[in-house]
Amino acid sequence: MKRMLMALVIAMPVSIARAEPTKLGAPPVAADPAPPLAELKTRFADGKTEEIPDFQRHVVPLLGRLGCNSRSCHGSFQGRGGFQLSLFGYDFKADYAALLEEDSARVEVDDVLESLILVKPTDAEMHEGGKRYDQGGWEYHVLRSWIAAGAPATADEPQKLARLEVFPAELRFGAAGEREPLRAVARWEDGTSEDVTGLCRFTTNDEAIATIDAEGLVTAGDAGDTHVVVSYDNAVIPVPVLRPVSELAGERYPQVATSTEVDALVIAKLSKLGILPSGICSDADFLRRVSLDLTGTLPSPEQVQTFLADDSADKRAKLVEELFESPGYAAWWATRFSDWTGNSEAQLNNVFPVRGAASQLWFEWLEQRIATHVPYDEIVEGIVTAESRMPGESYREFCEAMSAACREGGEADFAKRDSLPQFWARINLRMPEEKAIGFAHAFMGIRIQCAQCHKHPFDQWSKDDFDQFAKLFAPIAVPQAPRDRQAREQREEMLAALDTGDLQGNQLRRRLGELLLDGEVVPFPELTVRTAAARQQRNRRANPNRRNLAGAARVPTGKLLGVDQEISLAEDPRESLMEWLRDEQNPYFAPALVNRVWANYFGVGLVNPSDDLSLANPPSNRPLMDYLTRGFIESGFDLRWLHRTIVLSDTYQRSFEVNETNATDERNFSRFVPRRLPAEVVHDAVLLATASDEEAAELRNQLTRRAIANTYLINRQGPGNFALAVFGQSIRETSCDCDRSDDSSLLQSVFLRNDADVHARLTSPRGWVAQMGKEYQLSGFRQRDPQALRALQRQRQNLQKQLRQQYEKLRSLDPEQRQQQAPELRAQIERLRERLAEIGTQGREGMRRDGGQRDPEGPRQSVSPHDTERLTPLVEAAYLRSLGRHPEPQEIEASLAFIGESASELEGLEGVLWSLVNTKEFILNH
Amino acid sequence: MTVNRTCDGLRRRDLLRAGALGVGGLSLSGYLRMADAAQVNQAAAAQAAIFVELPGGPSHIDTFDLKPEAPEEIRGTFQPIATNVPGIQISEHLPKLAGCADKFAILRGVSHTLAAHDLGQEYINTGSRPLASLEYPGYGSVLSRERPSEADIPSHVAIPRASQGAGFLGIRYAPLSTNSAPRFGQPYRVRGLSLTGDLTVEQVSRRQSLLEQLDGRMAGLRRNSQLIEGLDQFGQQAHSMITSPRARKAFDISEEPSSFASQFGETPFGQSCLLAIRLVESGVRFVTVQLGGWDTHQDNFTRLKTQLLPTLDAGLAGLFTGLEQRGLLSSTAVMVSGEFGRTPKINQRSAEGGRDHYPRCMCMLMAGGGVRGGQVVGASDATASGPAHEAITPDDVAASLYHNLGIDPATEYHTETGRPITLVRDGRVIEGLFG
Repeated sequence: MKRMLMALVIAMPVSIARAEPTKLGAPPVAADPAPPLAELKTRFADGKTEEIPDFQRHVVPLLGRLGCNSRSCHGSFQGRGGFQLSLFGYDFKADYAALLEEDSARVEVDDVLESLILVKPTDAEMHEGGKRYDQGGWEYHVLRSWIAAGAPATADEPQKLARLEVFPAELRFGAAGEREPLRAVARWEDGTSEDVTGLCRFTTNDEAIATIDAEGLVTAGDAGDTHVVVSYDNAVIPVPVLRPVSELAGERYPQVATSTEVDALVIAKLSKLGILPSGICSDADFLRRVSLDLTGTLPSPEQVQTFLADDSADKRAKLVEELFESPGYAAWWATRFSDWTGNSEAQLNNVFPVRGAASQLWFEWLEQRIATHVPYDEIVEGIVTAESRMPGESYREFCEAMSAACREGGEADFAKRDSLPQFWARINLRMPEEKAIGFAHAFMGIRIQCAQCHKHPFDQWSKDDFDQFAKLFAPIAVPQAPRDRQAREQREEMLAALDTGDLQGNQLRRRLGELLLDGEVVPFPELTVRTAAARQQRNRRANPNRRNLAGAARVPTGKLLGVDQEISLAEDPRESLMEWLRDEQNPYFAPALVNRVWANYFGVGLVNPSDDLSLANPPSNRPLMDYLTRGFIESGFDLRWLHRTIVLSDTYQRSFEVNETNATDERNFSRFVPRRLPAEVVHDAVLLATASDEEAAELRNQLTRRAIANTYLINRQGPGNFALAVFGQSIRETSCDCDRSDDSSLLQSVFLRNDADVHARLTSPRGWVAQMGKEYQLSGFRQRDPQALRALQRQRQNLQKQLRQQYEKLRSLDPEQRQQQAPELRAQIERLRERLAEIGTQGREGMRRDGGQRDPEGPRQSVSPHDTERLTPLVEAAYLRSLGRHPEPQEIEASLAFIGESASELEGLEGVLWSLVNTKEFILNH
Repeated sequence: MTVNRTCDGLRRRDLLRAGALGVGGLSLSGYLRMADAAQVNQAAAAQAAIFVELPGGPSHIDTFDLKPEAPEEIRGTFQPIATNVPGIQISEHLPKLAGCADKFAILRGVSHTLAAHDLGQEYINTGSRPLASLEYPGYGSVLSRERPSEADIPSHVAIPRASQGAGFLGIRYAPLSTNSAPRFGQPYRVRGLSLTGDLTVEQVSRRQSLLEQLDGRMAGLRRNSQLIEGLDQFGQQAHSMITSPRARKAFDISEEPSSFASQFGETPFGQSCLLAIRLVESGVRFVTVQLGGWDTHQDNFTRLKTQLLPTLDAGLAGLFTGLEQRGLLSSTAVMVSGEFGRTPKINQRSAEGGRDHYPRCMCMLMAGGGVRGGQVVGASDATASGPAHEAITPDDVAASLYHNLGIDPATEYHTETGRPITLVRDGRVIEGLFG
């Protein structure tokens, strides 16, 4: 099986028809036996040829070139003027039928010149779409000759294009305005070849750098690099276009030392562009950068000081190994994997009877594997080929295990199970087509949904490819009641024992949820693969006399993407899917993960967007992509190898400071491009920066209050979630990496500056400012009577408990009840929150009652030398805990002056920490 | 520079995501520049809008579409009364609105097919029939995008929240939800906007100047980084909004003379209508005001008569007359609607009966901007069971609202995944509503 698959996969690039890299500007391959046919434009110039145009090779591409099958014309799903062509024209049968439709007069074989496709597009008056070509032009002759020959149809199966060759294979320009024509030659599997330049669709990936016209003429624009894309039949060929940004390109490029292969490949690209890389960042910047990117966690002040003091040469490498063992590493990457695999509570609410459990189990299953360094392919195998039951487990035992897992503290037991069947159980992946799209997105980083309706405009996939692929997912289902009889009986017994009466649907699920929390074992839906064999067996059982009929039924099949061999659905297709993914020739599985991990570290992937590995969207540095992919596979899909290889490269460690050549580079990794921290990391960073030393230590070791541990989910209401929503936590619903937003917004700035949550953190009695107030006896700080403080604490806990209960109540309402009861509940919640805020204020007032009032008219207070000495360590500490570095002298001076001017030292320190949390340096990884 | 691909082969700059990733092109600061440059659309009658959302689905036959001639099991117990516009009658429990019927248009015979609350709301609040794969943006988010407010004023405020979010336009265009409604005669604050705790403007301004001193490390990048530039602008705007007398005053309904404030009724809803006027007056582009509780499956008549209708009557009448008194009615589009009507036939599940979900026939109010008040547009049949002639669809209503605001209903957007979306797919501007 494995060998067969490999052979199939190896065959793939042929049908993908990639451009063969040839020498710059080289003439068409010399070894070619027969020179390609000249262009249609030449052959049909005078219309005297005997040649009969081919429907697939000529007519459909010509209609495409003329714009007939575009979305605004006949390619629209409603058609135009009653005439509809397939968008991007790869549905030859449908297009043929539309052209030859009876009584439509579009193609009149008996009265050729009256055919509407000759009459209308040459007459601007008659044709709403205007004049498309000249009567008597070569286009006219092509269509006329085809009709005159009886409008021959295309073969049953489309002819196979072996490859599309584009010359030159790469374009390098020296100045804006320079021009270079492209030429495209189609080589068909039957050995024929033809110049098809005039039939291609030409597009540019960045019209600022290069434009391309309908004839394939490329014009250079701004300096930089991009691709122009040539499409014909099902081939999509990107052609790199490059114009250096400085005089230093090529031979004049200086020697740049490189530490790793990654750096050598990056510099190779930079040298073509004439871009010099930035220097290596400081130790403090590296520590903060890698801690946030690898573990989603700000470094602690102690870590900063220890790291800065360490003078061993390999301290950065040692740090990375330490970070792998910190709880933040597994949690942060389980969050990212949750994004990519679509871990969504809302999409699982009819599979799990209790709220909140589904997503948490999913998360912890991933977290446990990442923490124990399970190879990537094995993690994916546990998802793709998941079984609900462990080997040997009965349905009842499975339900017992799941019921226990859904109770508080049971998550760890679920993480020990072999499989994560929830991936297939999501409501938004119910249909086979949705599963195909979700699978391709999660594990291959491609967006195949376009091909669900029409030929993919940026990839080789046709609608038929999509349909064949989607069929593979048809047998996978997670029905409420199990299919196998024994399990169904066990379920019935369980329900009978639980006395759920005739409750159904939502009501039954709610009741089961209550029973589960009371300690009962309740039934769970089970993943089922309805193979053809299983179906036939069932049919035979149901109709014993019709055995032969069932046996004669054709076993359904499907196809892997880009593989011609049919896969029988007599067996579980997921085994084939997994073997295909894992095969080292698979062009998507490893690159997709490599690209996503790279994007985590650089803000942009080698391919960008990070989940769009289509032919028309090649990597900005293909050798680098190939190197990392190969290394990742050779490491045995070891995630740590990938992380290490990236973060220990010079490329990752570049400074964000720019030089003259790289200030605008954002795709070639010549500098570190600052980017906003992800939502969960922002949430946790504010928490850590403002917490007392004791609380912060607790938050680092126990992640239960940390957003990177999946604690807050965007679909649940409750404290903490506001920030995550504002900062764009992934909604994990639409099979798109863009479900997470890294964008900045006004609301985010308002939040950090002035939200009650941030304010409460700064002024919390458990916060760092209060801790300093006490330890340094700051003016404005008065320790409260411990007894009163405890009473306040109790009151606060009590209110928080009530608040949680109200939220829980709100969540458990069904839509009907919600309409009625939600406003009142929300009002109660609002009152509780107000009371909580009041308590916060009381605590705060208690802290600062002694604060001296500054005379607003009085002179600016200067800080005495004694106070400078006393307060400087506090400013130092505030910098270490927020920005992970020591302050500069002028920053100390400004901070001390601010404290001196404040009504009290306590208020001053609070203002300093507020300012640091609101700097760009804080909110950006840099 | 990033180019995102769209399914239909069109290309678009990655506008919605740009900025944070440092991608080029029209990114965040480009957006801000566009926003700065956004000219008030002179051609449009309305520059701002207020949407009064009535979740639950108010009964049309008991409010603005009475059928006194219909059989008893349909017409219910409410009587029609005359309004200040000859020939137009509405429910006897809406006397204040009857006194200002010249200021709004009643849309009758509005019709759709979605009888679930959430689906109906999404349809009514976007003008596009909901799709499983895609969430459309609410009106306020579209207006926020097309015509953002000035720096120190939010573009879109929802009191206390809105059922419809920004959909595929992204969170940047989400409403600023107040999460609470103002109460009569009481001070009122909004999350993040009013100063927190016991901070004063002076303290916050001092912090801002310290921040400017400490925030210099990335300054060298500003010239080439649209993210850095954008963050600086957002920071400034947030500071202005938090400290500006405008933003704070806009929310401070206690500045209104009590003679003006009391005409809205002393309910949270009435005071929300008052707040909506203040916000629009201060430059907010879109305000959503919510009044729920209309899901009257049981005890329909008592609940309408004693609570819902008096609250609505005072609040809405206050809104229409208040806008006119302030000279804002001609520049502010108002739309009032639930997600569906209710069954003409009274159910017998409670002592006095109730009415169930009924999308086939409903009514709405529109006013302000170019809308001609004092008229009824469309009609329902004799038993208010369906449109009498051609139905008005939610799509038509949306097209008309956008038209009133000078936004082309055929505007095309692209979703994050690159799908091309027409703002209102199927709507036509309702004939006779304007002018």
